[in-house]
Amino acid sequence: MSLGYLTRRLFSVLLVLVIVSFAVFAITMILPGNAAVMILGEYATEDQLLALAEVLGLNRPWYIQYFEWAGNILQADWGMSLRLSLPVGEVVGDAFWNSASLAVTALGTVIIIAIPLGILAALYRGSKVDLGIGLFAYVGTAMPEFVTATLLLVFLAGSAGGYLPAGGFIAPNESFPGFVSHVILPAGTLGLILMAHIARQVRSEMSDVLASDYIRAARLKGLRERTVIRRHALPNSLAPAVAVISLDIGYLLGGIIVVEEIFAWPGLGRLLIYALENRDLPVIQAITLLLAAVYALSNLFSDLVIAALDPRVRY
Amino acid sequence: MVEKLGNLPAEASLDGLTVLAIRDYSLNYNTTSGPFEALKSINLEINRGQTLGLVGESGSGKTSLAWAIMRYLPDNASEVSGSISLLGENLRSKSHQEILEIRGRRISMVFQDPSTSLNPVIRLGDQIAEVLVRHRGLTPKQALTEGEALLATTGITKPAEMMDRYPHQASGGEKQRVVIATAFACNPELIIFDEPTTALDIITARQILDLFDRLREETQVTALYISHDLGLVSRIADDVAVIRSGLVVEEELCDRVFSAPQHQYTRDLIAAVPHPNRRIASPAPEESASDLLNMTGVSVRYGETSILTRIFQPDRELTYGACDVSLNVRLRELLGVVGESGSGKSTIAKVLAGLQDFDGSLRFNERVFATRKSINTDYRRAVQIVFQNPDASLNPRQKIREILSRPLKLYKIVPRSEIPQRIRDLLSKVLLPEEFADRYPHQLSGGEKQRVAIARAFAAEPELVICDEITSSLDVSVQASVAKLLVDLQRDTGTTCIFITHDLNLIRQLAHRIAVMYRGSLVDLFETNEAENAERHSYTRALLDAVPVPAGTESSPSP
Amino acid sequence: MSDFVRHPAGVAGAILLTIIALAVLFGPLVAPYDPQAFHTTVRLQGPSADHWLGTDQFGRDLLSRILFGARSTIAFGVGATMISVIAGSLIGVTAGVVGGWIDSVIMRGLDGMLAVPDLLFVLLIVTMLGAGTGEAMLAVSIAFTPGMARISRSSVLSIRTREYVLAAVARGESQRYIILSEVIPNAIGPIIVEGTIRVSFAIMIGATLGFLGMGAQPPSTEWGLMVSEARQFMYRSPWVVAVPGLAIAVAAMGFNLFGDALRDAFDPRRSR
Repeated sequence: MSLGYLTRRLFSVLLVLVIVSFAVFAITMILPGNAAVMILGEYATEDQLLALAEVLGLNRPWYIQYFEWAGNILQADWGMSLRLSLPVGEVVGDAFWNSASLAVTALGTVIIIAIPLGILAALYRGSKVDLGIGLFAYVGTAMPEFVTATLLLVFLAGSAGGYLPAGGFIAPNESFPGFVSHVILPAGTLGLILMAHIARQVRSEMSDVLASDYIRAARLKGLRERTVIRRHALPNSLAPAVAVISLDIGYLLGGIIVVEEIFAWPGLGRLLIYALENRDLPVIQAITLLLAAVYALSNLFSDLVIAALDPRVRY
Repeated sequence: MVEKLGNLPAEASLDGLTVLAIRDYSLNYNTTSGPFEALKSINLEINRGQTLGLVGESGSGKTSLAWAIMRYLPDNASEVSGSISLLGENLRSKSHQEILEIRGRRISMVFQDPSTSLNPVIRLGDQIAEVLVRHRGLTPKQALTEGEALLATTGITKPAEMMDRYPHQASGGEKQRVVIATAFACNPELIIFDEPTTALDIITARQILDLFDRLREETQVTALYISHDLGLVSRIADDVAVIRSGLVVEEELCDRVFSAPQHQYTRDLIAAVPHPNRRIASPAPEESASDLLNMTGVSVRYGETSILTRIFQPDRELTYGACDVSLNVRLRELLGVVGESGSGKSTIAKVLAGLQDFDGSLRFNERVFATRKSINTDYRRAVQIVFQNPDASLNPRQKIREILSRPLKLYKIVPRSEIPQRIRDLLSKVLLPEEFADRYPHQLSGGEKQRVAIARAFAAEPELVICDEITSSLDVSVQASVAKLLVDLQRDTGTTCIFITHDLNLIRQLAHRIAVMYRGSLVDLFETNEAENAERHSYTRALLDAVPVPAGTESSPSP
Repeated sequence: MSDFVRHPAGVAGAILLTIIALAVLFGPLVAPYDPQAFHTTVRLQGPSADHWLGTDQFGRDLLSRILFGARSTIAFGVGATMISVIAGSLIGVTAGVVGGWIDSVIMRGLDGMLAVPDLLFVLLIVTMLGAGTGEAMLAVSIAFTPGMARISRSSVLSIRTREYVLAAVARGESQRYIILSEVIPNAIGPIIVEGTIRVSFAIMIGATLGFLGMGAQPPSTEWGLMVSEARQFMYRSPWVVAVPGLAIAVAAMGFNLFGDALRDAFDPRRSR
């Protein structure tokens, strides 16, 4: 595709991130009371508050505060965590990789299972297989993560079951089997719900493809059905499948917050809950921006993949 | 390769050999409201080297017959009786595997819309080659070479290049040639053509028709040609069968169908085929008639470029919907505007209806309008438009009564109390029963909806009515009645009319003058009776060549 | 409309919704026990004749708690969605009708807000406003508004180019008439469908907030809150978490099924 298209897309990603950063900045700065109150608590005196406000530069006009903050971000200076007395970059950095390992595991499993499920359901429309997958899909999309997580814990990790650990984290480079045993439940929780979404969408896309004129034309050429599916139907449903998955990444990023909290997985989600409960502004801002950036970039990536798969898409 | 004749030995005596025989075939569809009889006791035969034209309007069952022959029926279809035989072999008794062997090799099909019947993500060459690999046992490499040769015989100028392209990189005509090449690839005994030119432009359609004729000559292929266009079929078929509501009402040699039609329906169909010699127009306005409307230098540009677009896509051109069009419309005439899709005729219609921004000027009734915004209510009342698509031109949530009363209320044509009576008058003028006032659009047929749209336009008591392809989405028999209705209305009310269409024969029946548009420009403007003069523009002549007068209808007496 | 009834999914959804509506309207009236009443002798019991769905860690009857909690949970979802539908439609219809640079600016703003995942957005706003049912509902409405605005806008845009709208413009009808009589009655379909499906998401997010302690507060019987309060006892009696959890799922499913069936009823060409 043309360089012009790529440039324009990157530009619009940037624009979106600027808007998000502005919104994040505005939200966190509008918190009741100001940052000084947050830090010093409710019982601080006026003088103490004023002094801290001076130090933090909270009395300057908002646009100056915004630009200084934005400028710092761009120079990779994310500030200091208000509660943990550590550089935000450090704190967030570790959490990021932990979340990434969970997200990638969940997403990978989902892609491998959900897409074939959706295709199967479309191929055998109206059959018991389709009904079963449909039921799974409907139930799956109706269960919030915490419900799925809780039920999985009850049945697989409790003292009655006791097969899997109820929470915690072991890094993959420390002990791979340990990592696996700890990642199964959280990834499974995320995965089940995503699988339900994606299988349903893929089924719908694939059904549309199977009903198209060119599939009919291929069958009327006397091609065997498996050739029709493999050569004619599947390639046309790949691009929509990628589009669906990229949409669901947004859902994944939301769900990961709850799942990490329940399973005590030390990732961005758990960190965010902690930061929200403790009003740790720099951390909140950093994580929100990071997650929005991940989402926007993953959308861009999937657009590129779609362009590679579909010859009609030529920007 | 194309000289080999089917799978039969070349020396055998082949005349009179029945290739396709359909005997007493009946087909039902099981719907929620009971069984629907799609085909009733069909009896048809096609002999070696003959082309049978199957003519029917929408819902006649002609397409169902094609699916039945290809054995590609939906689950809710049930074959009640009869047989379908290919060279004596009963297709109904074949197993699925055997049918797969037959499709593409012994019977193949050319579809209506090449844009949707070709796989968008597979190269054209591969789509031809796969048939050769599957049925003629060629290796992929051999198949590609053979495919290229096939493309050459269908008139593609650079076959090697075309093999590498994707469907979206080829024009409609090129794609249809690919589909035809694929159909001929395995030298089938029978080819079914399902309205192959309907989705194409006039001139391209003519080229494909010529191609069909040529291939027919060269290969002596047996063909079933399905169409809704009796005039078109008359030029290429040996036998003609007319089908209506699942029943074959007439089956005859082509010439006899037109010279001595047996069934009333056939006679009606023939009468409905537009023929330039059969004028249906109102009397022409006098020579000295003044101009009602003048367009001067009207242009429409699409694609306002923003700065960013210009930076990143410097070679994206401005497209013109219309380019410097100057046209006058005389009082009380019916001006025809003819062109293919993309010619700008609809753009001009939208400009005149006040729906499109434009450069240039319009002069109407002594007032000059230079921009869309300056167009006032008087103009909008005096100029009305009727659109092409009957399904989309009426608000589905409003009853007919409400739809017709809008212009009456808006322009205060009659006092409130007289509105119901006026609605009754309007409905009767367009030959619709009074009760329709209480119906919703979805309860009306396409032709009926179009009549309502016409009634709505005339309700405003306009001076000019613009008809933008109002008959193109309708069946042939309905087309004729709607066209006649329009002309009658014009005559009765003295309204001026602009009639836009791509059907040259139709416009020659209706119009007093004809304007020809090509790629946004007006290229020709002439009195209808001068259509075939020598001084016509070359494009006009090309159009006339592409749409010759229907064969066999010349001798029909004018009404 | 008759087609709607023939789709089993739609019928199932309608049945579920009816049960839910009954629970919301009459739940507190038919509940056998006071939802806060302790029955210390029968704590953490499974279903029995006295307590059809069992009891929780304080011996409170689960069935009664569910019936009382229906209002908090469901009304939350419906309320939050309705606000977002109204706000979103206003924005989206304006953008779609006015067009031009106003439309571009609105779209850019919407794109920015949609770049943040739903739950994250809600959490941020809730933190800002403070915990509580009302605050949570406002947060969810704000988070859903951009999505509804998008849908409204695209629905309006697709209707605007229909020929009956063009006919009205050509006639010189006032902008007001065109919007009210030609565009909106026909554009409303997709908006309603999307809204119905969104209710199920709103219910789920509301329950999640309750679970995290940022939504409904004790002693509310909101279903998400019920799950979080009972978590530490779940190994002893899975019923305490399964019952409210499944109730949430059933409610969300009901709206989901119904919304899908509505979508099919409005546009029969779609393959299900």
